[in-house]
Amino acid sequence: MSEAKRPSAGKTAVVTAAVTGSAVTAESPGGVLKKSLWKRIQQHRTLYLLFIPVLAYFLVFKYWPILLAWVVAFKELQLGSGVFESPWVGLQNFKDIFLSPDIPTVIRNTIEISVLRLVCGFLPPIILAIMFHDMATRRLKRWLQTLVYIPHFFSWVIVFGVVFGFFSVGSGFVNNMLASFGFDRHEFLLDSSWFRPILIGSALWKEIGWSTIIYLAALSTVDSQLYEAAVIDGAGPLKRMRHITLPSIMPVVTFVLCINLGFLLNAGGEQILLFYNDAVLDKADVIDTWVYREGLARLQFSLATAVGLFQSVIGLALVVICNYFAKKISGRGIW
Amino acid sequence: MYKSRSERTYQIVIHVLVILIVISAVFPLLYVLGMSLTGQVEMMKRNYFVIIPHEPTFAAYERILVSPLIWKSFGISVFRSAIGTGLMLLLTVVGAYVLSVRTLPGRNIMLFLVVATILFNAGLIPTYLVVKQLGLINSVWSLVLLYLVDSFGLLVIKIFIENLPDGLIEAGKIDGASEMQMLVRIVVPLAAPALAAIGLFSMVFHWNSWFDAMVYLNDANLFPMQLILKNMLTAASSDAMQALVINGSAITPESMKMATVIVGTLPILMVYPFLQKYFVKGVYMGAVKG
Repeated sequence: MSEAKRPSAGKTAVVTAAVTGSAVTAESPGGVLKKSLWKRIQQHRTLYLLFIPVLAYFLVFKYWPILLAWVVAFKELQLGSGVFESPWVGLQNFKDIFLSPDIPTVIRNTIEISVLRLVCGFLPPIILAIMFHDMATRRLKRWLQTLVYIPHFFSWVIVFGVVFGFFSVGSGFVNNMLASFGFDRHEFLLDSSWFRPILIGSALWKEIGWSTIIYLAALSTVDSQLYEAAVIDGAGPLKRMRHITLPSIMPVVTFVLCINLGFLLNAGGEQILLFYNDAVLDKADVIDTWVYREGLARLQFSLATAVGLFQSVIGLALVVICNYFAKKISGRGIW
Repeated sequence: MYKSRSERTYQIVIHVLVILIVISAVFPLLYVLGMSLTGQVEMMKRNYFVIIPHEPTFAAYERILVSPLIWKSFGISVFRSAIGTGLMLLLTVVGAYVLSVRTLPGRNIMLFLVVATILFNAGLIPTYLVVKQLGLINSVWSLVLLYLVDSFGLLVIKIFIENLPDGLIEAGKIDGASEMQMLVRIVVPLAAPALAAIGLFSMVFHWNSWFDAMVYLNDANLFPMQLILKNMLTAASSDAMQALVINGSAITPESMKMATVIVGTLPILMVYPFLQKYFVKGVYMGAVKG
């Protein structure tokens, strides 16, 4: 996806595994093998051949765009003329961005929506995971888990459809309820003060179940004898939660928190693009949606590229910093 | 073990809370389903307060499913999910295998090239420009080629291969198996569970994507299903006020939209019960090892 995405529980879990696992920085076996470098390269030539398509993919679809980003952001790209014929304009695009009236709002919206998502979306999955973990029923628990994971597999289009079914004026569930209790119907979807609650609520609906998995995975490694011993010692359910369950998921909790902070500038553009409309733009426009509109609808390639580059650079810095703290506090980072 | 009163109260409380959460996860879908089956007449008669329709009508579905665009888009979605995932798995397992060979000169540089792209992306516009330069605008192949290697997946599978018992790879080498034979006969079968998990996630990703299609495709005949559904859902409701009469029964535009949502969820709901445990296993596999 060309648009950076927030890490879902699944993905973060996978990254952690992938990168904290063994060998990203495996020591080179230099001293061990006495063969000459050239001989070792020759010996592995099939492997290099196999790697060519993979390398080609990364060069063409990852590194070429990154190079273009750094070029186009400092050029005035005109329609019709190629990237390399267009004139250099130095920092003009960046000046234009920060002088433009909408960018401060867009950046503020992005950060506000990200922070709101984090504040409202962070604790519920943890609480749900702890409850799942503590449920003594086996089969019922599995059924409930199966059901609560379902919305995760729906696209944002579907989620938007469900939200429409709930909040539309004509026959949305909420409006029908209001009407049947004698209240007026309300245009929730065109009311900018309802935009963020609906956005964040529906994202929580989609992900609350699935986000429990990373915590449940951490809890599955806790020795059940700890709980048995605690029961024998007379610890009640709340005491066990405080002294066993919470400490066991704390590293994962800090990890998820730090990593989410790293994605502060990605407020979930794909979802907002579906949910927003002109009536709520002042509360809804974020970097991703701005880049899409200005770049592809109004063909302001250079400006949009510059904003995208700004987002990527700050994003990278944030991720690196947050990863540092994640590692420091929880002993576990993305790398 | 859980016998005392406080234990029982606690169990009751968490069961009630969890069941409430699960109901709120499932109820919206049931409501959407109910609405999609409700005709205009019943809606008026019951003052728009319908959860379970008494006289269900499939008129909305009939209207949607006669549209050739829906079926075409279904085909496109199947194409990108199947071909996109197939090619991605092929390249990803090859890349993972190559990078799992510790003695490979230059391995760390190659690995860095892969990992760095997870942390820094070029952004929407430069990627669009590249797709344009390659002449892939308005080609469904853009939706396949853009995701040809999954960097996360590659790292997971690489670790999976590295964690295989050393003896297996060594034995292959001693038997004189070529690199290709090792990959096909030893690595792929053993890494199958990890590959299956990554493949499933990729299929869901492809099936649910619509934004990329909106960016890279112009021709509605090439749109995947989610984008067609999106256009149906967000279509300006100029006809919103008047009901449509289909086969003698009038349905509201809202019912049409709700039927659209159900059509979009059905494929996922049909495979979900069978694949659910593999998805969860996939995430566990990642999370526990880390």
